[in-house]
Amino acid sequence: MKIKTINKFLLLPALLLASFQVAIAQFTVTGRVTDANGEGLPGATIAIVGASRGTSADIDGNYRLEVPGSSATIAIAYTGYKTVNMQVTSANNRIDVVMEEDFAGLDEVVISGLATNVKRANLANAVSSITSNELVGTTVQSSMDGALYGKLTGVNIISNSGAPGGGTTVKFRGITTLNGNSQPLYIVDGVYYDNSNFRSNTNFVSQAAGQGSTQFQDNPSNRVSDLDPEDIDRIEVLKGASAAAIYGSRAASGVVLITTKRGRRDGSTEVNVSQSIGFQQQLKKLGVRDWDASKVEAAFGAGEVANYNQAVAAGKVYNYEDELFGESGALSTTRLSINGGSEKFGYYAGVTRKSEKGIVKNTGYDKTSVRLNLDPKIFKWADLQVNLNYVNSESDRGYFNNDNTSTTLGVSYVSTPSWADLFPDEQGNYPNNPYAPSNFLQTRDLITNREKVDRILGGGIGTFHLWTTDQHSLNLIVRGGADQYTLRTRSIFPRELQFQKDGNGTNGVSIAGTSHSFGTNIAAFLVHNYTTSGNVTFRTQAGVTQENLDQDFINTLATQLIGSQTNLNQAGSVQVIQERLKQVDKGFFAQEEINFKDMAIFTVGIRGDKSSRNGDVNKLFYYPKASLALNIHEMTDLGSTLSQFKLRGAFGQSGNFGPFGATYTPLNPIIIGGGTGSIIGITLGNTTIGPEKQTEIEVGFDLGILQNRFNLEFTYYVKSVKDLILLVNTPSASGFTSAWQNAADLKNNGFEIALNLNPVHTREFNWDSRISFWKNTAEITRLDVPAYNLGAFGATLGTYRIENGKSPTQIVGIDPNADANGLKVFGDAEPDFQIAFNNALRYSNWELNFLFHLKQGGKNINLSTLLSDIFGTSADYDDKSVDPSGTMGNGAYRLSQLGVSASAWVENAGYLRLREVGLKYNLPSSWFKDKAKVRLGFSGRNLLNFFEYSSYDPEVSNFGTNAISSNVEVTPFPSAKSYFFTIGASF
Amino acid sequence: MILRNISKIFIPALLLMGVAACNIDTIEDPNNPSVGAITSNASLSEIQNLVTGIEGGMRINLGFYFDGVGAIGREIYRFSTSDPRFTSDLLGKGSAVLDNNTFYTTNPYAARYRTVKNANILLEAVENSTAITTNEARNAAKGFANTIKAHQLLLVWVQQYDNGIRIDVADPNNLGPFVGEGDDKAALRAIAALLDEGNTQLTAGGAAFPFSLSSGFSGFDTPASFAKVNRALAARVHAYKSDWDLALQALAGSFYDQNGDLALGAYHPYSTAGGDALNPQWFPLNATGESRVVQPSFITDAEAGDTRLSKATKRADTEFQDGLQSDYDLTVYATNATSIPIVRNEELILLYAEAKIQKGDAGFLSDAVGALDVIRNAAGLGDYAGGTTQAELITEMLKQRRYSLFGEGHRWVDMRRYNLLNTLPIDRPGDDVWVKYPRPANED
Repeated sequence: MKIKTINKFLLLPALLLASFQVAIAQFTVTGRVTDANGEGLPGATIAIVGASRGTSADIDGNYRLEVPGSSATIAIAYTGYKTVNMQVTSANNRIDVVMEEDFAGLDEVVISGLATNVKRANLANAVSSITSNELVGTTVQSSMDGALYGKLTGVNIISNSGAPGGGTTVKFRGITTLNGNSQPLYIVDGVYYDNSNFRSNTNFVSQAAGQGSTQFQDNPSNRVSDLDPEDIDRIEVLKGASAAAIYGSRAASGVVLITTKRGRRDGSTEVNVSQSIGFQQQLKKLGVRDWDASKVEAAFGAGEVANYNQAVAAGKVYNYEDELFGESGALSTTRLSINGGSEKFGYYAGVTRKSEKGIVKNTGYDKTSVRLNLDPKIFKWADLQVNLNYVNSESDRGYFNNDNTSTTLGVSYVSTPSWADLFPDEQGNYPNNPYAPSNFLQTRDLITNREKVDRILGGGIGTFHLWTTDQHSLNLIVRGGADQYTLRTRSIFPRELQFQKDGNGTNGVSIAGTSHSFGTNIAAFLVHNYTTSGNVTFRTQAGVTQENLDQDFINTLATQLIGSQTNLNQAGSVQVIQERLKQVDKGFFAQEEINFKDMAIFTVGIRGDKSSRNGDVNKLFYYPKASLALNIHEMTDLGSTLSQFKLRGAFGQSGNFGPFGATYTPLNPIIIGGGTGSIIGITLGNTTIGPEKQTEIEVGFDLGILQNRFNLEFTYYVKSVKDLILLVNTPSASGFTSAWQNAADLKNNGFEIALNLNPVHTREFNWDSRISFWKNTAEITRLDVPAYNLGAFGATLGTYRIENGKSPTQIVGIDPNADANGLKVFGDAEPDFQIAFNNALRYSNWELNFLFHLKQGGKNINLSTLLSDIFGTSADYDDKSVDPSGTMGNGAYRLSQLGVSASAWVENAGYLRLREVGLKYNLPSSWFKDKAKVRLGFSGRNLLNFFEYSSYDPEVSNFGTNAISSNVEVTPFPSAKSYFFTIGASF
Repeated sequence: MILRNISKIFIPALLLMGVAACNIDTIEDPNNPSVGAITSNASLSEIQNLVTGIEGGMRINLGFYFDGVGAIGREIYRFSTSDPRFTSDLLGKGSAVLDNNTFYTTNPYAARYRTVKNANILLEAVENSTAITTNEARNAAKGFANTIKAHQLLLVWVQQYDNGIRIDVADPNNLGPFVGEGDDKAALRAIAALLDEGNTQLTAGGAAFPFSLSSGFSGFDTPASFAKVNRALAARVHAYKSDWDLALQALAGSFYDQNGDLALGAYHPYSTAGGDALNPQWFPLNATGESRVVQPSFITDAEAGDTRLSKATKRADTEFQDGLQSDYDLTVYATNATSIPIVRNEELILLYAEAKIQKGDAGFLSDAVGALDVIRNAAGLGDYAGGTTQAELITEMLKQRRYSLFGEGHRWVDMRRYNLLNTLPIDRPGDDVWVKYPRPANED
């Protein structure tokens, strides 16, 4: 019975397809697409409504399209303009179209289902989308995630450090998990794009994890940085479950849908070349302490004064901040892309070569990305897409962040006073640093800490037109892909280092890591469109999905190196770590979308998912969604001023897995005296654990006036997460210090306002401006375990605290005015609100873009200052600005608070930045006989920064992308500002 | 019409789902063996792994334990440029106190109970294992497990004192009560009982263990010889609870030997081999920033010619930190692969002397002086020439313990046992000498 039905199902479309092969009469439509000024719009698309045939306009805006039958409706569309529908017949076959600008982008198409699009005007969610021009149009971007700063509402992005090669924490609409994956799901052209990070295991040398904190602090980059922002056509961000429910159990932290550029398929070919050169510099210099003999005696004892005086007399007092962070790192991006093709075959090829040197000597980032996107039109009844991307990158990340051995560049720098002489002699021998276990100049010059990535991403989408009539279309969409990469980490600490030689270490350390990640995903959907004669559209879709992920992390650590050898076998001692991860998810989804004459658009859907990550692997978890958009302006005439008024509401659920391994109680390996043994792990597994379940409700309205030249979007959301998976502290007398449990709920609510303005719009001068404001508030609404501290380094120095009724990111610490728990709340890592002010001005051939970003409030735990105070090296040690009584110097005051109050290290991390600025000049095309467009530009990132935070940059995370406990600083790689000059040409 | 079309699409679609969304196989932990498999029917090699795991577990966070009790007992300072709490909290600087949720409190505590857990898994595994075929072998393994459990609990007691400690921790979801809350001897009695149980099992343990032990138990690797380690620990426990007859009895069953090597005993071995641990109490000479230096009174209080001063080696430069300073590095251990004692003969001779002194009458006191002279002579000092009242001998005995067992975690407990914590040196005004650690935050 089953088989028979399937046969029927397969045969039916085949027959239908065959029927299409019969030649029917056809005619040709030609015309020209222009803007209001009569300028041709090259690349405008002309498509037959309800069929899969189309073309695009050539460089002058002319087009030519074969239309089957004797009449049809064609849709002419161009980014930034309102889509126009026109009736064509064999008699009326010359259609010239003057396109009207669409200031609010309402006709822009955004992704609404797993396989379907919807016009922005009909969307029930506040989907944030970013075009290529917004992403990389202003200045050169190092990575895709970093390029999102300030361009989306409801998003909080933190660069974990200034180390070249990335490392960014992205959070949409607040915290959605405490221990699960906190980073959004990235999907590139339908392929799940892995964003893991793998530690380099420099922890062996730094010992950062183990004393105050058990978390690794190796500062790895996360792998979404492999994606080349230049290849991206558009990004859509689904910030919560109401939009992302159809992505099910991986979507709780949001989904970032990335669409890359495609070929033009209009017979023309476009070549783009560009070269950017620039440099970067330390974003903020802290300066060094101004020493004199009495300060030296106070900090280092009377015995040190002679050394100091001697150094002063010899002129050997140094500014080590300049020495360590003073490089002007050279930046270069070379870019070549070709796109073109015919109706039968579209292609896009992009190559980017990027080289960035860091502000610390011997650090940098090199990346080569090659992309090939093909659109072969082999069959009339099928559209195919094939996408291939190869990335090779190498980053030298320096050696920073917290440690417990005082060997990282950061910690040894703050522990060294400026009269220390660390410079090598003529033979290149470095003196030992008498003030710290490491001579950081030696460390900087001799160590290697490198990440190398080879990544191949391949995917394809096939759309099979099974059945098409005037009113119906049925398409089968099959989409799949594979994402595989090998990350090789290499960390070498040669034996001549101060902290490796003479018994101070292990006579050299050589660490090689190989992390291999292989992910595949495949999905098949049926999409049925039915338009009634009354212009009501029903769109039904249903499908199945499967995702697999297989990761293997192998890290080999060799010590007792033989001479200057770094091969792992040239060592007296070798140890290996291997960690594997395997995951299989399967699911289905179904969705029904009803569009009543563009007036009311109602969508309802459900996804069911099961996963090997759950305690019960075959239990289906369901994630429903429903949404409604009401275009009031389509229903009734609102007058000439009010051009758009839309009310929208959406509801949805999504899930999030616990950490891999949460279902297991492992026995860990341990070695003693040559014997291998098993010791119980410190975490008690949970075989009944389920996913974290998020429910989001979002309501809002969009208001446009004067042809939408002024447009206001308002959105309010409530995002609740149930059954948060906690690593619950257990009485350690059980042998376990923690256990996994679904033991808490939290709630985020907030609002997002965006105001799009087009105040000036003439042929010569155009000004687009966008002001956005967003705010999120979070609260723990259920906690099955007693309130507990989490993250950072304990209450003495400030820590997070998970407490019912409080924000999950509250920062607490000891204080004389503490509550019954001995703690006082010093603030919250969550910003009070954020504002972005984005402007694009064009005057004649000049373009000026700038983006200001204000983050108001939000606290950091700044332990760089604590360490530099302890060693008396803080630049502001002698200022008197923090002691409320005004008597003690800053350093002495802060130190007096150690063990008394953590307040001295909890600082306001708000900032105002000029994120991006770019000035571009388009050379008159007449200079090049109209054959080429050439542009010159100056641009920069983070050129202006205003903050009261006392360290390098309030944007920092010692603990990488952890859900909780970002916003902690311990002597990081300082961040940089960068300047670029770009020359580009299109042919 | 619409409905018909929708149903036409949905039926095949649902079938497609049925085919694709088939079952997922449970994925076993790809990284580690599971507890369940081992406790239900362990092979001999799995039992061996658990035993090795116990030995390895005994070393976890031992460095923080010694740093903590050594600093509070004013034997050493642990200087750390990266963590100021070694010199603030541990020494009670200003208003700093020991925190109940900071690594120096929680890490050693958790590590000892983790080893106890491994011992409990071993007890369960040997009970159920069909690979162990004789009752002797079963008893031997249990005797080993119980002895190590008792030792680990004793280290917990040293820090927790009259907070009490949990003894019954077999079921993680249903932990036993704190024994000895407000009564520092009650937990010791429970530990002594556990040692006695282990001793009985070892005695009935046949000729050999069904597993092998590391070089740390060299000479004590049969049930009968391991029982001597059990008795040595029992002697320490009885002395801590002032049961002097029981202490002497236990000594008799131990490897106590006045004529023997003072270093004879059970150890934690260390090595530079791959994956093995390095001695956590070893730092290179003249280390700066991260260093372990000797509290100066150890040098100034010493008798001239005491060879035990080799445990403190003069530095090239004075080491300063946080208002403290010292000219001497702690050099109890020669290299980073030197073993750390669990219990050794030198302590047993001193326990013998102590028990005899406490017995009090003249004959006993002279036995005690004889034992003390063994220790003194070994340290290059002449026979004891001071007064021989019980009080004077206690002072001498404590002094010999201070120098003989320096850096091995005894000084603080000794001063506490004899109510002498107030005699420990205060290095900075406002510093405190703690009586005990707080109970870890998550225990209540």
